[in-house]
This record gives sequence, C-alpha cells and structure tokens, in this order.
Amino acid sequence: MIPDDKEEQHLLIAEYVLGLHRGERAEEIERWLATDSEAARLAVHWREHWVGAAELLEPARLPPRLWRRLARETGLAVPWWRGLWQSTPTWRFASAALLVALVLAVGPLRQPAPVYTVVLQAPGEAAQPGWRITVADNGDLRLTPLTQQAEYRADRSVQFWTLENNAAGPRSLGLVEPDRGLVIPAEQVGGVESGQLFELTLEPPGGSPESRPTGPVLFIGRAVAL
Amino acid sequence: MDESNHELEQATVLLLACARGDGTAFQRLYRLEAPRMLALARRLCGDPGLAEDALQDTFVQIWRNAGRFQSGKGSARAWMYALLRYRLINQHRRVKRHDAEALPGDDWPDPGPTPEQCSLEADQRQAMQECLRVLQTDRRRPILMAFYHGLTYEQIADTLAVPLGTIKSRVRTGLKGLQECLRL
Repeated sequence: MIPDDKEEQHLLIAEYVLGLHRGERAEEIERWLATDSEAARLAVHWREHWVGAAELLEPARLPPRLWRRLARETGLAVPWWRGLWQSTPTWRFASAALLVALVLAVGPLRQPAPVYTVVLQAPGEAAQPGWRITVADNGDLRLTPLTQQAEYRADRSVQFWTLENNAAGPRSLGLVEPDRGLVIPAEQVGGVESGQLFELTLEPPGGSPESRPTGPVLFIGRAVAL
Repeated sequence: MDESNHELEQATVLLLACARGDGTAFQRLYRLEAPRMLALARRLCGDPGLAEDALQDTFVQIWRNAGRFQSGKGSARAWMYALLRYRLINQHRRVKRHDAEALPGDDWPDPGPTPEQCSLEADQRQAMQECLRVLQTDRRRPILMAFYHGLTYEQIADTLAVPLGTIKSRVRTGLKGLQECLRL
C-alpha cells in the first residue's frame, strides 16, 4: 500500500531506489511510479544522485574475454580472419623480421629454392616462431616444426589452414601431427601470394566439423616473398 | 567542464548512437562505463564470475534496449547503473557477503548531526558524495551496505547484529537527511 503522506512517499521512493524493497512490494511501487509523474521524477533524481556513490569505486580491470563474449552475443564480433587481415603491416613486419633471424640462424635454405616463406608464431608471441612454411618454385609447400611442440590432448587434432582472401574464407590444408612436418603438393595448396595467411588451430578429433576453424589459433603467420 | 561531466555527456551521446545501431559507439561505451560497472557488480554479488555474467547480460540489454533510453529522464550512466543494480538485486544469487569489507566512505569522519550544511553548488553526483560524507556513520553505513552490497533491511540488521527496527530507523533517518541535503 502506498502511503498518503508526502513525506512517507518520499522515503518510500528513496528506499526503493536504494533497492531495499523486493518482490511484490517493489512491483507495487513500480506500478505507482508508472502512474505518478511527480513520484517518478523524484525516483529519477535519486537514481541520478546515487551515480555519485558508484563513482567512488575504483574502476575494475576488464578481462579481454568479456568483450569477446559480449561481441559474440550481440552479433558485433568480427571474424578472426578479417581482423587479422586488417593488421597486415604488423604481421608483415613481424614475419619479415623473423625471416631474417631464421635465415641467419639456419643458413641457406635447401633445394628446391623457395619462393615464399612463412614463419608461424603463437598469437601474441612474435619472438617465438613455432613452425616454418616454405613454398618451392614448383608450388609444393613444406611445413616444418622449429621447436618441440606442446603435447595436445589425444582427443584433439591440429589443423592447417590458409586464407587467400576474405570473400572465400579460410581453406583447410589438412591435419598436422605435432612435431612432424609435412609436404603438400602444389595442386592442393593452390596459388600462394605475398601476405597470404596461414595458421594452425586446435580442433575436435578428425578436424573441424565446419568449413572454417572452430578452435583456438595455435600458430599464425603470413607469406613473405623471397 | 571537468572530466567526470565530460564522460557523463559522452556516455549519453554514445548510448544514443547505440540506439541507431552503431556498434563502434557500443564498444566505446563499454570501454568507458564497464570498468566501474564491473567494480559495482563485484561489490553487489560478491563473486567475480557472477559479476562478469551480470555485466555481460546488462550490456546485451543496453545494446538491445538503447532505443528506450530517454535523455530527458536522466543521464545514460544512471540508466545503465540502474539496469545493472536491478538485475543483481533481483537475482537473489548472492553467494558470498563481504560483511567486513570496507565500503567507500567508511573512513569519512563523523561530523555530527548537521547534514544540511553541505554545499549544493556542485552537481548532483558530487552533491551525493558530499551529503554522504557529512552523514553520521551509524546512518551512512547501513545505507551504503544497501547500495554497494544490495542488502535488504533484514540482511543489514543481521550483518551488523542490530535489531531490525533500529536499522530501519537509522536508514530512514539517514535517507531523510540525504533528501534534505540534496534538496529533493
């Protein structure tokens, strides 16, 4: 029941905005506020004032996953390949720098002479190359592990992907055994261009159930022309 | 215009842009408001995971209902905080109380019964901070427990080990003092 006394009404509104009334009592007050413009105006003022108390709190650090979850739920998420595609300068610079370091470290590359190379790195760890890709002048692609790879769960597969352009989306180049390189013939690889994206992702056993990656990116890099 | 007021206006502008389906404005609004909202959510529910869930749900609600916000009825920030508090208070899922946790304002000096003396030159939010500051401790603390922790009269009485009637009386006297100080 809403009191008739104005002073009591004011206190009731203050209590309501503070959250001291719950359930049916709160619903009754909400119905009253919906029909009494003066009461509603007072509630708005109280609500505005309480922002001042909230501003006394030290802002929290937002975990990055929170925005990713929110972006997915609101449909504002950008597909990973589009986001990476837009950061070309960073990736090209990182790949080129690592390429120079690798050439100095491992010496001249063996025959057949590669025309493209890619250094695959763990996301966010540009100083730690994990795999190297070389594409020979005949178009064959060789994937070679550079370091001992982490042990992945037996119920997961590592899948190799490339992205030639955003419109076509990513294309699978098959499954990869950790610590074991592989060679993919030119006809399966297709044409390789400078800046083309390659990556390894962790997928369900047997590979992604869809025509695109569904698991986390393990290693990623872009093709650099030699 | 100070930085706080600038942010307040910025939030309103961004929320109005969200109502037009501007995703970039939504992301900027999130970056602007979410850090303090997460801090408030953590206080209210006492569990970091639930606080993140509540914040996410609130921002989904903000995105989907931005068109219902009316700038003539207060600031975007007040509207957004109200959505968050309403969600958390009505969840009844508080898993852990921070009973002994210090609240903002705990260390303010007790000025005695003169809450009306505060200046109202400042804007509404600063006015509330000033009015809380000059409120007597035994009235301020249960009010802040309700605001920051979402506690009911019964929970506050239980936490402070004070009879329910006494707590109700202190809260209502404190709210009346705030009302007079804020000139509502």
